Amino acid sequence: MPTRSILFFLTAELSDKEKKMSNTINSNCEDCPVHNLGNLTKLGINMSQFDFVVALAGNPNTGKSTVFNALTGLRQHTGNWPGKTVTRAEGGFEFGNKRFKIVDLPGTYSLLSNSTDEEVARDFILFGQPDVTVIVVDATRLERNLNLVLQVLEITDRAVLCLNLMDEAKRNGIAIDDRQLAKQLGIPVVPTSARQDDGIPELLKYIYEVATGSYVCRPYRLEKTSPLLEKAISQLTNKIKNEFPELPNARWIALRLLEGDQKIIDSLKNGELKNLSRNNTIVSMPKQELVTA
Amino acid sequence: MTDPLQALLIGGSILLVVAVIFFPKYGLIARWSRAKRGIKRVQIEDALKHIYDCEYNNIPCTVQSIAGALVISSDDAAELVARLSSMGLLLTLDNGVKLTADGNSYALRVIRVHRLWERYLADETSVPQTEWHSSAELQEHKLTPAQTEALAAQIGNPHFDPHGDPIPTPTGEIPPKKGRSFLSMNQGDFGVITHIEDEPEAVFAQLSAEGLYVGMHIMLIERSNERVRFAADGDEIVLAPVLANNITVEMLENEKEKIVSPMDTLASINIGEEATVLNISKACRGQQRRRLLDLGIVPGTKVRAEMRSASGDPTAYNVRGALVALRKQHAQMIFVQK
Amino acid sequence: MTNKESILSTANALRWEIGENIHDSLVESIYKEAQSITSNVVKTPAEKARFNFDVTLDRILTSRWLGFPLMFLMLAVVFWLTVEGANVPSAMIAAVLVDTVHPWLREIFAALNSPWWLTGIMVDGVWLAMAWVVSVMLPPMAIFFPLFTLLEDFGYLPRVAFNMDALFKKAGAHGKQALSLTMGFGCNAAGVVATRIIDSPRERLIAIITNNFSLCNGRWPTQILIASVFFGALVPAHLAGIVTAGAVVGVAVLGIAFTLIVSWGLSKTILKGEASAFSLELPPYRPPRILQTLYTSLIDRTLIVLWRAIVFAAPAGAVIWLVSNIHIGDLSIAEQFINWSNPFGILLGLNGVILLAYIIAIPANEIVIPTVLMLTVLSAKLSGVGDGAGVMFELDETNAVANVLQAGGWTFLTGLNLMLFSLLHNPCSTTIYTIYKETKSVKWTTIASILPVVMGIVICFFVAQLYRLIIQ
Repeated sequence: MPTRSILFFLTAELSDKEKKMSNTINSNCEDCPVHNLGNLTKLGINMSQFDFVVALAGNPNTGKSTVFNALTGLRQHTGNWPGKTVTRAEGGFEFGNKRFKIVDLPGTYSLLSNSTDEEVARDFILFGQPDVTVIVVDATRLERNLNLVLQVLEITDRAVLCLNLMDEAKRNGIAIDDRQLAKQLGIPVVPTSARQDDGIPELLKYIYEVATGSYVCRPYRLEKTSPLLEKAISQLTNKIKNEFPELPNARWIALRLLEGDQKIIDSLKNGELKNLSRNNTIVSMPKQELVTA
Repeated sequence: MTDPLQALLIGGSILLVVAVIFFPKYGLIARWSRAKRGIKRVQIEDALKHIYDCEYNNIPCTVQSIAGALVISSDDAAELVARLSSMGLLLTLDNGVKLTADGNSYALRVIRVHRLWERYLADETSVPQTEWHSSAELQEHKLTPAQTEALAAQIGNPHFDPHGDPIPTPTGEIPPKKGRSFLSMNQGDFGVITHIEDEPEAVFAQLSAEGLYVGMHIMLIERSNERVRFAADGDEIVLAPVLANNITVEMLENEKEKIVSPMDTLASINIGEEATVLNISKACRGQQRRRLLDLGIVPGTKVRAEMRSASGDPTAYNVRGALVALRKQHAQMIFVQK
Repeated sequence: MTNKESILSTANALRWEIGENIHDSLVESIYKEAQSITSNVVKTPAEKARFNFDVTLDRILTSRWLGFPLMFLMLAVVFWLTVEGANVPSAMIAAVLVDTVHPWLREIFAALNSPWWLTGIMVDGVWLAMAWVVSVMLPPMAIFFPLFTLLEDFGYLPRVAFNMDALFKKAGAHGKQALSLTMGFGCNAAGVVATRIIDSPRERLIAIITNNFSLCNGRWPTQILIASVFFGALVPAHLAGIVTAGAVVGVAVLGIAFTLIVSWGLSKTILKGEASAFSLELPPYRPPRILQTLYTSLIDRTLIVLWRAIVFAAPAGAVIWLVSNIHIGDLSIAEQFINWSNPFGILLGLNGVILLAYIIAIPANEIVIPTVLMLTVLSAKLSGVGDGAGVMFELDETNAVANVLQAGGWTFLTGLNLMLFSLLHNPCSTTIYTIYKETKSVKWTTIASILPVVMGIVICFFVAQLYRLIIQ
């Protein structure tokens, strides 16, 4: 007979993101970094006094840990099986005179399914409010990976798509029009082969630009669902928008409420949701012209 | 040194005694603790549930029916009824008993725990469905309100239990009964099963052995006093009317949903063959269902069987460019078009 | 009603209306959009979704006839390389840490006029325990983990899980348990952590509880030494190597059998349920990056092993020294305990020395053999071997070990049961701690710790009695 005691959870120590000193917008790009790796200082696990927080999300086994290692200089164990990374890793790097803390989230296929891993990833992207979310995808199975990408883009406005494993894609004869993809998704898309360090400088550049606000994302948002659901969503979204006009992801919150997500219900009750909108005002400033890669 | 034979006998008997005492579920300790649990509270709660059930289904409820449902003597049942009315939980009327507002909300609280627990077992664990009910019968008397709400939150505050019954809200709201009896369907009607009564247990066990589940699409082929014959999931199922009476259905109006014709499942396609997913059976629930969806197994997805494991099961399928291994029992719940 | 409450109640009302299908239709529509985006940006070669090399290799590695033989062959090669390759470096490290540094430390302590007991605890107890752990553990780990990691990087492990799933399914367990089981061959603590890849709590608990049945690195040396003394000696010298290896592999396979049996038993009783959700993604094969793998697993694991040696083995070393040197009456605590527990040990086909060694060695399985030898010499009052009470030692020659053990009254049965008991006893303290950290439950940690040792006692008892009844 199963009892309550088998309902144990891994405790994910998700500390709230520490307060940042300042958060300047750098639109004219006077001190933009020179775009090469020479400008990168890998800080390993030294993460004191960072300016920006970067979250690393992606499907299992897409090379997230490899990207993490390439950025931080750490040598987190990588392996070729899904679910290899079982603990959340953090590291740091410095680029263009800014210090970045990078958090490697557990690999997930989705953010909707309430498994422990997915909750850790989802909560960090939503409540941790990273300045940039880097979504690592496997270029050889883009369609499957876009499931997660589209879900992340429902939550956050600041994301960079890291189109990893390009070498494997090439070997398999798969060609991807990354500019077109960036245009469609409204976020920077960087083709990389992290195992060979290919594309890491470009990735850094875009992380920097999105973090500092010099690249403003216009993320793709889902539109089409079933008519019955759509009616319910729009009714609820309007109500939420009335209460929290600044909230950048009201539609997504509405969806979660319709799925009975307790975390979101609680955050609505205790006012955490309101904080999300205040901090995010920076994002909802007048948008500049859409920059495409 | 001890004589080995003697030692063996002593050792064996010690092992036997320990097993008799400690064996889970059948051991003495397990039996004793089962016998000991709050009899009074259990009786009160079971009686309230029974009366609530009667009222929900518009069946008259009497001391006799309570005695029958709880398997106690009529005297004990009368005593129980007196006790309940002194607690202000029910009113005694000429033709039976009726719950007060307090009694009603108490009953709903117990039912909420019961149904939530069944839903938890169905979605998050692999406990066989014939055991959901008996496990919930125990839990409904055990969980505290705080534990109940934590459980609800963990499984996403569901609104229906796996038998299709609505789960009362914490404040005791519950929507009115929907659907109609299976026996009210006419030949050629399409319907979807919305509820399978989980009591009596023997009947439910038979229905679940036939592979029936809530959300199953069916088409009535023949209805007579001896038998009910209908098509579902590509199979033909024959039931005795007394069994079919425990099934509630809703009519299907939408032409697109009227699918009960023989369908292939993913498990039936050969290595190297390709098929298109039509839908996932509603019998596939909770985590397992969500994982299949996450992996991109949704209606319209093209799937190809790539290889079988050295031990014959599972099979690896190519789904949207990725190689995904599924066990046969799950592949059988994915309907496809070859 | 506040606005917040009205949002929630609207949501609730709407949920009754839209029913239960919201998740399905949501994911379906996300995939529809993903498909339309991909069709604009991705060009795939016609009709060639998977790389040819991958397909061919997969067909071979998962084939009905070759799948399992290839799997056992590959694991056997890994173990053989580990066992063979570790001998020389082990001896070298022991030569430095035990034969050179140990006397040298003694001299330093003597020069500093340290009291004899301090020298005893620190040099003969703490230092030697650490030295043994490092010299016995480090080389096999430094070979096993990189080899294992290469297989892992290549993408072979998920295929093992794929092939073995049917067995685990029958046992009511999760197919991915095959992954944590193989990780457990390296270190049970690592195996327990690796069970996180299993989503379902019930099956994850089964995997955690049974991980101890994977013979870990700390126990291989015990198995190999005892097998060569008692099994190798049964046959002519030229066959000894094969028989020894066979006996050790037999115990390892027995461990897998116990994993399946206990998983089955648990899933029928306290962790009741059928095998549930299983979907495993099989990644494409990737050429492993050998240099980086070597570097990562060598450096990372080395640090971990050294840390472990200091934290867990050092106190154990001090305890060993203390129990053999503190006297109650005429005898040391160790001897008192050995004499007292000997009848019980004999009943199990073991002896008091082994029982005491296993109690002391809870922190680290690696020190069992040195402790057993030291205690045997102590209790059998042998002279001319070892360096005195409470000083662990290991003998280079298998023959010398055999002589010491025979003097201690060991028989073939003692050896056989020691091998069984080494497989079936409580996990080491690191693993117990890890189990607690992973389950956050005292109950399951207790079960995971007690269950194997109870099984060990019961099985050793019956084996001993049957052996005496039938053979003697």
